[in-house]
Amino acid sequence: MKILSVDDSKTIRMIVKRTFAPFDCTVLEAANGEEGLAVAAAENPDLIVLDITMPVMDGVTMLGKLKERADLKSIPVIMLTAESGRENVAYIAKLGVRDYLVKPFKDDQLIEKVERVIALQPKAEAVAA
Amino acid sequence: MPAVANPEDIAKQFGLESVPASVKRLSQLLNKCDATDTDDFAKLVNADPDLTKRLLCAANPRAECEEDYGITTVEDAIQRCGMSAALLLAMSDPLINAVHKTFSLMLNIDLKNVLPMTLDPFNFTHVVGEVGFSGKATGLVHLRLPNEFIPVLGDRLLGLTPADMQDEATANDVIGELCNMTVGNFKSNLCDAGLTCKLSPPKISRTEEFRLHIVEGGTSQRYGFHSKEARLYADLSVNPFSES
Repeated sequence: MKILSVDDSKTIRMIVKRTFAPFDCTVLEAANGEEGLAVAAAENPDLIVLDITMPVMDGVTMLGKLKERADLKSIPVIMLTAESGRENVAYIAKLGVRDYLVKPFKDDQLIEKVERVIALQPKAEAVAA
Repeated sequence: MPAVANPEDIAKQFGLESVPASVKRLSQLLNKCDATDTDDFAKLVNADPDLTKRLLCAANPRAECEEDYGITTVEDAIQRCGMSAALLLAMSDPLINAVHKTFSLMLNIDLKNVLPMTLDPFNFTHVVGEVGFSGKATGLVHLRLPNEFIPVLGDRLLGLTPADMQDEATANDVIGELCNMTVGNFKSNLCDAGLTCKLSPPKISRTEEFRLHIVEGGTSQRYGFHSKEARLYADLSVNPFSES
């Protein structure tokens, strides 16, 4: 499994990496929407965890571009952002996201949302298999 | 961003918290700001005991207790302080809640609200995180913390060592993200109240003498927080009529 974390904050990317460290998955990183699109195209991740406010290309623009591309549009996206204004959430939902988690958050909340989209397996189990 | 149907239903579908009562109250107050007289605005303030208390306190800055108040009615307090000041006070709960939520969920630190003047002043080099917002409302939020709190942040948030947090870029990223979450939450509340605005990226600096920047046409308020791990200040300066 591959999860792509797109966030301009290294702190958030580290939190996402730590959160999924016990699972048999690789966390890829990108610091803005432009990098996110490039990594998504090169790595074809199983899920993207996406921030909104970022330099170069924001998350909403990246989401729109992702949905325009036949090779990328089926990758599920979970928004992870401090933005919870109702109109903005509704607009983003319309673009096509699987779920939405508002910062600040607990690791467990992120795992729960991700598990609804992809099947996570603990690392030890994967090794034993 | 354009409006779409049923935003509250969509938020529920994602399990987002419902819009807090304090934000609904702020929205109601903003709707009464266009009125030619302040009666309806004052009625709304009067219906909220906490807001009434804060406004009367602000209108009587020299009084040491309520018995000393020269201004005793909401109507007179609005005349004295203005609607902007009342709106600023109505924004207090959303900002205070955002600070509590960020420190509790991300750092497992339960902060207590304290009167800013009861905290020892930061007359030493300390960290300042600044996040601005602009749109229908324009403002600045400053979160200020003592340097000795920085290793605690790194440890609680990412399991980093004090040595890791001596790297300024790492420390700034951690502090910046905490500021971003706090003010991002607050800004979302402002949007839900009708004050559509956008955030600017966080700026982190270190200073010995902090001077509050008051945005043009705005008013300001300071909040103090304390826990066994640390103490911090949040300063809010806002002009709720920047597009009027």
